[in-house]
Amino acid sequence: MALEQLTDVVQRCQVIKDESFPPEDYDLFLTAGRTCIEQGDGAQVLSILVDEKNKKIVRCMGWNLLGPLIQILLKKEDKNLPHCHAILSHLLEVSSPKELLIGLLEQVEDADSSSIADTVTILLKPLQTVLLRMGVKKSSSVGMALSTLLSQVIRLPVPVTKEQEEDDVFGLCRCCTALLEFVKPFVLEIKDNNRLSKGNELRVELLKFCMKSLSEPLLEVLLKDPNTLQKSPLREFASEILVILSNIGESLPDLLSRNILKRKEVPGFLEEEVRYPKESLACMSHLLFVHHIGMDIFPAVLSPVFILQCNMEYVELLLSRTEESRLQKGLELYEKTLVRVEDNSLPVDLLELKIFFSVPQNLVKVMTLCPDQTLRTKGLKVFQLSIDKFSTEAKYKFFRGMLKTSHHAGVEGYLIKNIKNQIDFSLKPCNGNDWFLGKHLLPLLRLVLCLPQGPETDLLQNLDRIMESLNLLRYMLIRDKEWENETGIWTELYKIEDNYLKPLRTDLNMSKAHYEAELKSTIDNKKLSSKDSKTPTCTVTVGNEKLPNMSPEMQIQVLQSALFTFDLIESVLARIEEIIEAKDRPLP
Amino acid sequence: MVKHMKGTSNKREILGTLVCTSDEMSSLEDILSSNQCPSAAITSKGTDVTPNRDSGVCKIVKQHGVEGEKPMIGDKVCVHYTGRLLNGKKFDSSLDRKEPFVFNLGKGQVIKAWDIGVCSMQKGEVCLLLCKPEYAYGSSGSPPKVPPNATLVFEIELLSFRGEELTEDGGIVRRIKVKGEGYNNPNDGATVHVHLQGWCGGCLFESRDVTFVVGESVEAGIQLGVDRAMEKMQKGECCLLYLKPKYGYGKDGKPEYNIGSNAELLYEVTLKDFKKSKESWEMDLEEKLERADLVKQKGTQYFKAGRYSHAVIQYQQIVTWLEMECGSGTEQLQAIQSLLLVAHLNLGLCCLRLREYSQTVENCNKVMELDPDNEKALYRRGEARLLRNEFSMALEDFRQVLQVNPCNRAARSQIAVCQRKIREHNERDKIIYANMFQRFAEHDAKVVKLKRKKEDSGHSDQNKQSLKRPCLSEDGP
Repeated sequence: MALEQLTDVVQRCQVIKDESFPPEDYDLFLTAGRTCIEQGDGAQVLSILVDEKNKKIVRCMGWNLLGPLIQILLKKEDKNLPHCHAILSHLLEVSSPKELLIGLLEQVEDADSSSIADTVTILLKPLQTVLLRMGVKKSSSVGMALSTLLSQVIRLPVPVTKEQEEDDVFGLCRCCTALLEFVKPFVLEIKDNNRLSKGNELRVELLKFCMKSLSEPLLEVLLKDPNTLQKSPLREFASEILVILSNIGESLPDLLSRNILKRKEVPGFLEEEVRYPKESLACMSHLLFVHHIGMDIFPAVLSPVFILQCNMEYVELLLSRTEESRLQKGLELYEKTLVRVEDNSLPVDLLELKIFFSVPQNLVKVMTLCPDQTLRTKGLKVFQLSIDKFSTEAKYKFFRGMLKTSHHAGVEGYLIKNIKNQIDFSLKPCNGNDWFLGKHLLPLLRLVLCLPQGPETDLLQNLDRIMESLNLLRYMLIRDKEWENETGIWTELYKIEDNYLKPLRTDLNMSKAHYEAELKSTIDNKKLSSKDSKTPTCTVTVGNEKLPNMSPEMQIQVLQSALFTFDLIESVLARIEEIIEAKDRPLP
Repeated sequence: MVKHMKGTSNKREILGTLVCTSDEMSSLEDILSSNQCPSAAITSKGTDVTPNRDSGVCKIVKQHGVEGEKPMIGDKVCVHYTGRLLNGKKFDSSLDRKEPFVFNLGKGQVIKAWDIGVCSMQKGEVCLLLCKPEYAYGSSGSPPKVPPNATLVFEIELLSFRGEELTEDGGIVRRIKVKGEGYNNPNDGATVHVHLQGWCGGCLFESRDVTFVVGESVEAGIQLGVDRAMEKMQKGECCLLYLKPKYGYGKDGKPEYNIGSNAELLYEVTLKDFKKSKESWEMDLEEKLERADLVKQKGTQYFKAGRYSHAVIQYQQIVTWLEMECGSGTEQLQAIQSLLLVAHLNLGLCCLRLREYSQTVENCNKVMELDPDNEKALYRRGEARLLRNEFSMALEDFRQVLQVNPCNRAARSQIAVCQRKIREHNERDKIIYANMFQRFAEHDAKVVKLKRKKEDSGHSDQNKQSLKRPCLSEDGP
């Protein structure tokens, strides 16, 4: 029945001279054709389509059959399959490429999430054939096809484990491999004909494709190294994207440094941003320096400091995000870039660049706020690594800057520990320097040996900082003898006593008295409440969420541990006071 | 890089490289395969080019270049190179990538050995460079290619070099004689102390110490080119600046100095010291608003004196400071918006005078985002469009001006101008098309004749099309 209809329409149209077929015939052709294909009459449809007499009809209407054909191809098990393949390849040869392209892309766009991978892999080859048929005017069509394909592919879940990548259940790996095959002829066209001028449209489309692939999916992907996974399609994809960039005339070192060498505020810079998104470049840099992908086409003559300068931009971008995959990549990139630099070599001038303070600020955020323990630990490790790479003077300037801006007792404590290590190093023979001894050291010590809010400072909150600074002071008083006074601490001591030790003593006494009183009243309350059962308890809220009420026992525990902490502070403080007293006493 | 590949002269050089490197390679391999320790072999034959003579970088010239043509600091240099480890293993080569390597010399972009070594080369020179690890990748190496503590041997050919272009249009070219210190540059509004000498056609016309404010230097008689170069200089830097007329005395010249119209200038500038002005992110909104007012007055002053490029710098500052601000409360918001509006409006006018019409249109559009019926913005956009031969769009703009203010006589006369232009344009079109059709007719007649002879129709179709195309493209919409 449908077959008869199809034959009818075709016969009717055969006699029409020019290609002005009535619209209702288009509809009829589609419905009849669809039914035939679905009913398994592929062979008959094929014979109609290949008939030389019907060439014009196929050229105009043939693309309408793409939808039903693709559905059959997707089902795979149909016995009709070979015929459908034959019909498709005939259509690709005969129908108008523009309409075929639109028809095929429609199929790609319409794919639901479960069939994306299959649709994409099936349609890539036909799409390529159609685009190649378009000749020189295909650039914008290639661009349209690539962006449609990519936007579907990135909907696929990214494999996380090695096994997931191997199994490739959702098909991201398959699609990536197929995409590479798809773009190959277009890249070759640019490369072989040396069409590398910045404005070449096809080149621009391929550039867009590479940049988009770098930001998505590649920035999401955590690549496995070759020891874990020998053959990784995603690694292959990443590496090919970098090769394509280089083949279309984008030099990788230029891309790497474009943010620091081309900071222009001229009109049209937005367009540049769009063409070379920072995220994509960050991903490229991560591939180069963390995975060493693309290193074989990357020059090995750039200086490590220059690479660091370039990468700081990307590290900052990655660390300013909150997604853990970005943070991890930022940390890895920073680490690997720092490792290339010699210890104690980064000059103080670098700190004139704002980014050498903004990256550590971001790092502090990761170290203190990131919910993931391993990332926090890694953050601290990288933070220390970055300190190690600075020259002595740069370390000094860095500590000063960070003490003023970090606003986190734990970080400040950590910085103070670093200062102590530097002083210790400087006091060893032949290590003397101007920065961690003598007159430069004192302004730094003033930042360390102080209470942020005077005698009212919350000792518990500032514990890390206070303990480290007391340790530092004790260390210096013991290590640097008064008659040597290399650090200058003994001349500064009376000021430190007035500005730091005395207020701290006051603070300590007040805090202790307060907590002891609290403890006493809590214990008393507890005795009372055990008599009548209405327990007055304190409430604790964290992030707007009320925690379960603290029982009196817990309260007592907390208060007691606070008192222990004060004892701890006091013991170090007392030791320092002892040393100072010993100095004031005339020698026996 | 691409440009270099394209230039015919450079192509020859690249080919030359290939020939000579294949020659040289044998000698490099000779050295590497000889029984003698390769580094000792190079050190004994070569010269130590390090400033402190520690033999960290040794050079053997394999092929001499052009005498006297040496690159300077900051120059964009273009080289081909092959790098090997002492065991002869090639770890990197630009020849394999078939693409010369380009970098800015003496800026720390490449390993120390290169900044030192390439600086000593002449154009066209080919040399071997032996680099101790302290001048290369040191104890860290460069994973994955260079192991720790590796001495490297490079063979380098200096293909070409040129001064660094500080502006898009190449109107300011810099070559550095003495490198400055640090990474800090003066910004707009910074106070700088410089020594400068200016030449025109080999004649020294000025030589003086001067202090000025970047962006307001015209008050101290400083050329725009010198002013614009400041933000790329560092303290202590001494450089040569090659200025195109646009960045010098322009078409007026400077008769007192014997500088004619459209003269190119050469300056030697030493930045002795400077004090930065606050960057946008260092100021709070109050301060920005206060300073924006002063800057606006400066801009107006320059505009009145006909110094449009200088006025642009001032107005642009307002935009940079306030563009992203939204203030707190309506009062601040209004202050911000009125300053931005004036800045864009005046930028539009300056650009109109500077014949940067597309920027005029852009700035007027910005004004209209804030105030859709701004009479001046509409008028200026109309003017810019008229000058860009977009007659009907210009006409539309002037008509809108009249809608806003029916008494605007100037707009009325501009409308007349637009209409006349459109008419003239149509006339011209008519003539072109008339001719075209006549030509077609003649051509068709000829074709018919031919067709009768040869019965070849497809050929004529093609011809007709190729005739039609250029005529159509001549007058776009």
